[in-house]
Amino acid sequence: MNTISVDSITKKFGEIHAVDKVSFEVSPGEIFGLLGPNGAGKTTSIRIILDIFKPDSGTVSVLGGPMTEEKKNKIGYLPEERGLYQEIPLERCLVYLATLKGLEETDARQRVGEYLERFELDQWRKKKVKELSKGMQQKAQLITTLVHRPEIVIIDEPFSALDPVNTQMVKDLLCEERDRGTTIIMCTHQMHQVEELADRIALINKGQTVLYGSLDEIRRRYVADAVIVRALQDLPASLPGVREIIKQNNHAMLKFEPGKTAQDVLQMLVQKNISIEQFEIALPTLDEIFIQVVQGKGDGR
Amino acid sequence: MNKIFTVLKNEFQTVVMRKSFILTLVLLPLTGFVVLLVVSALQKSSGVAAGEFLNELFTPEEKQAAEGYIDFSGLMKSIPPGNEEMLVKMNSEKEAADAVRDGTISAYYVIPEDFMDSGDIIYVRPDYNPLGGSEESGVINALVAYNLTGENLELTYRVQDPLNLTEVDISNAMVRESENWLTYVLPYAITYLFYIVILTSSTLLLNSITSEKQNRVMEILMTSVTPRQMLTGKIIALGLAGLLQTVVWLGSGLLMLRYSGSAFALSSAFLLPASTLLWGVVFFVLGYALYASLMAGIGALVPNMREASQLTTIVIMPMIVPLIFISSLTTTPNSPLSVFLSLFPLTSPVSMMTRLSGATVPLWQIGIAVLLLAVSVVLLVRASAGLFRAQNLLSGSSVSTKNFIKALVGK
Repeated sequence: MNTISVDSITKKFGEIHAVDKVSFEVSPGEIFGLLGPNGAGKTTSIRIILDIFKPDSGTVSVLGGPMTEEKKNKIGYLPEERGLYQEIPLERCLVYLATLKGLEETDARQRVGEYLERFELDQWRKKKVKELSKGMQQKAQLITTLVHRPEIVIIDEPFSALDPVNTQMVKDLLCEERDRGTTIIMCTHQMHQVEELADRIALINKGQTVLYGSLDEIRRRYVADAVIVRALQDLPASLPGVREIIKQNNHAMLKFEPGKTAQDVLQMLVQKNISIEQFEIALPTLDEIFIQVVQGKGDGR
Repeated sequence: MNKIFTVLKNEFQTVVMRKSFILTLVLLPLTGFVVLLVVSALQKSSGVAAGEFLNELFTPEEKQAAEGYIDFSGLMKSIPPGNEEMLVKMNSEKEAADAVRDGTISAYYVIPEDFMDSGDIIYVRPDYNPLGGSEESGVINALVAYNLTGENLELTYRVQDPLNLTEVDISNAMVRESENWLTYVLPYAITYLFYIVILTSSTLLLNSITSEKQNRVMEILMTSVTPRQMLTGKIIALGLAGLLQTVVWLGSGLLMLRYSGSAFALSSAFLLPASTLLWGVVFFVLGYALYASLMAGIGALVPNMREASQLTTIVIMPMIVPLIFISSLTTTPNSPLSVFLSLFPLTSPVSMMTRLSGATVPLWQIGIAVLLLAVSVVLLVRASAGLFRAQNLLSGSSVSTKNFIKALVGK
């Protein structure tokens, strides 16, 4: 059983199609990347999954059925628009938000205490939230997302406005949650962050799913006819079977002529007695795939 | 249900722990106590009963100088006994004018030759005070009555004050001394109390919603509670905060009166019938629910408090109407205007309480007011709850009054 199944959801705001027949499924215990540029319809899709918005058509199934009040308590959500009550003490704010997720107040207080210690916010617990730095507030927000030990975590733009240290901390946390068996949806336009973490992705553009599947499979599908070569000596300006040589820092990308394969190029390099240190298939980055897709070469799935 | 209670508890705690709330809650009764202490201290030193002292403070009796009269009719033979110091006979207008200038008399009357036919008397005084009312001492009435009755003092009294009317109220309501300053102050106090409490509680609700929008907590809340649970929790919590305020203020008011004890002859003046207090709770709850749901509607639509200001001004306008007509409500509590204001749902919570604290209101009128108010509350709560949905709560732009009303009626 899939943890989340999104089936052909559509949502219009006025005349604008925010989401148009988007479908995807999220399996238990995976990190799923919901990708797309700003304004692609990611947040609207998330809000429909969370039952904040009702779709105009299509259905969503969460933990085996429609969303209920009880299921809401099993979800941890970190929205893109981060915010906490500014005028009340940190601990009270976090405990209140935790009790809204169905925790008893004593439990909430204990777990919030544990997280505050872990995130080194312990000494700030009695301070008003507005007195905390932005980074501290981000951490506090993460506590709100995780404190009730959710089965599903949905994080919208998890790395926006985070410094490298905190970015790493969030990545570690997400991996830790996955190891615990939590299903995670990561919603972002920062493709390179997803490459490290996500098992599968859906790419949304202009409200429609343009790519969907496992990250490896997608990248292989978009393999460019090119290899990356690092040689001990300079490569000649032209090589047979290679239509273009793009020199990069300490390696070069060799793009084949039509009909040639990586194997052909390797044989040719060996024949030419070129000493090779590194030879690998040039897998495209998600950024490159994304650009290809939105420029009209997507597979439309 | 559980989540409504969680929202309610948090909201109530947040409001009553706020410094400004605690300050107003404590400061107002404290000011009252200070005034009371000062008054009783003054009373002890002057020996005047506090009640009288306050009466004097509100309506001081001015010491009247003597007045003069010039009689051209020849009817005024003598000044009635006991008024010799108040009235001085003058022989000519010049003499009278000089005496006014000297300050020996404060003003003078000219009784013309044809007084018997016309009844005209001219009153000449040095200044003109249209708001101060007539400062004319009334001693001229005594002079005329005394001389026209052939200098018969008993007849003079009867002519001047023909009957002693004793009013018996068959409605059996508690009668308050009409002479006492509190009879006059009480309706005002009740009106302002209702106005302030309903206004602050419903504004607190608006504040709470807009601050959640501004702090961007709304989206997290939406994934934990439904908009309706949130609205219900908030309305009840802030209503309770308002009720707490009312209870503390009224309670400390009663305490002050008890403390002042017998020095104030207040028993019948300040006593409000239990039914009025009961109606007070009913009108507060309904009035608050009415304005709170309007404010919640505004809160759902606007992005922040600043954008809300124009709309709130228009929404609270009907609350101000009873304050504008307060003198009419207190002096003529059964006039058509007073009846209308106390029946119309937007003005009735405050107006009806003003009337109830000043006069006896027929039960059918209270019934109609409650009914109209309750129907309006149901309709408005439903309309506002309709606006309290995710799409509005998560966005928000400036809203014109026209659009607000359209949104309320569901267009």
